[in-house]
Amino acid sequence: MRLDQPCLVFVAALLSAGAANAHHSFAAIFDSEKPVTLTGTVTSIEWVNPHIHFTLEVKGEDGAVAEWRFEGFPPNMLVRQGWRRGETLKPGNTVTVSGWQARKEPYLGSVRSVRLADGRELTAGPPASIGGR
Amino acid sequence: MRFVRFVDRVSNAALRGTLVVIASTCMPLAGLTQSDASADDVPRTSDGRPDLSGIWIATSALGLLEGSEALQAARAADRAAGRALPATEPPPYKPEAEALRRRYLDRQGIDDPMARCLLSGVPRINTRPLPFEIVQLPDRVIILYEVHHAFRLIPTDGRPHPEDLEPTYLGDSVGRWEGDTLVVEVVGFNANTWLAGTGTHHSEAMRVVERYTRDSAETILYEAVIDDPIVFEKPWRMYDIFRLRPNERIREYECIESNEDIVRFEELLRSSEDTPRAN
Repeated sequence: MRLDQPCLVFVAALLSAGAANAHHSFAAIFDSEKPVTLTGTVTSIEWVNPHIHFTLEVKGEDGAVAEWRFEGFPPNMLVRQGWRRGETLKPGNTVTVSGWQARKEPYLGSVRSVRLADGRELTAGPPASIGGR
Repeated sequence: MRFVRFVDRVSNAALRGTLVVIASTCMPLAGLTQSDASADDVPRTSDGRPDLSGIWIATSALGLLEGSEALQAARAADRAAGRALPATEPPPYKPEAEALRRRYLDRQGIDDPMARCLLSGVPRINTRPLPFEIVQLPDRVIILYEVHHAFRLIPTDGRPHPEDLEPTYLGDSVGRWEGDTLVVEVVGFNANTWLAGTGTHHSEAMRVVERYTRDSAETILYEAVIDDPIVFEKPWRMYDIFRLRPNERIREYECIESNEDIVRFEELLRSSEDTPRAN
């Protein structure tokens, strides 16, 4: 049987039913209205559950340096997105990080993707719509 | 047509009627260029049962685990195979239970037991974005979950639920075969889990009936009927399609290792003046 549009609605609704299944509520901590894209130097990475964390030293237009901390998927999800511990992201790497800022903490973010120096862009965390309403 | 075959396997008469209505709604639009692909490619055990063994991931979790391209490929495969299931409707909460759910939603998920690394219950654990392995034996089915590094033992030898059950996160499962469908009845839950997304709470009175139907070599049709007379007006039905991942392996996942959300959410809970109470 070939499906036509009304049936596709069923499938789409089915597939969206489990959409709020990331580890935690994004919306409680992060603000989807505050997207951020930053280029900087990785200073540390914690390859831990349930979220990896890494810090990024970012130099502002005024020359001031801020250290951002980002959290992303757990290691088991990252390896399935092509990440390798100790290889993909290392201190000293210059990368561009896209994600969203935290609601309260000024230099905390949830990472969605990381563009590496070689141009590869890897998924690193959930979309902003996960969790909450 | 696999959808009709799935309807045939559904034992609940009311649900069967609903599915037939949906199917009849779809079919005229479909033009019925159906190939009626048989289930000949479904692996079977020596006793003739469909073999559910393998490593699986829920389609609803594919986008998170494998990315949007994998999800699109899965949707295309389902369209090509004529594989479709009814939509999962919103949970049919009674007014007071719905009010509690709205409060959980307003609090943006900070009450979610999963965020504290507590075991996801049934059926939520089947739809988390990490794979699980089913091991089918003649007298039991074992499900090994990467998430939480958890497992379920599902006897299929006719034994009843134990009489000394204490409420637990995953409850107690007993399985039986209805034709080619594995039917699993789960009871003995605590009220500390959510069923799906944010705020989908339940009570200890909940009973879940799951149906696993391997409709092809690559897929299992999954239905969970959640009956909880304390919070629901009627049973809540959820559906998903599990997809075989032969190149996967179940890895260790220790959620509590460095869970900063516990501290964050406890702080938010303390600052809240409106703390919902579970059932």
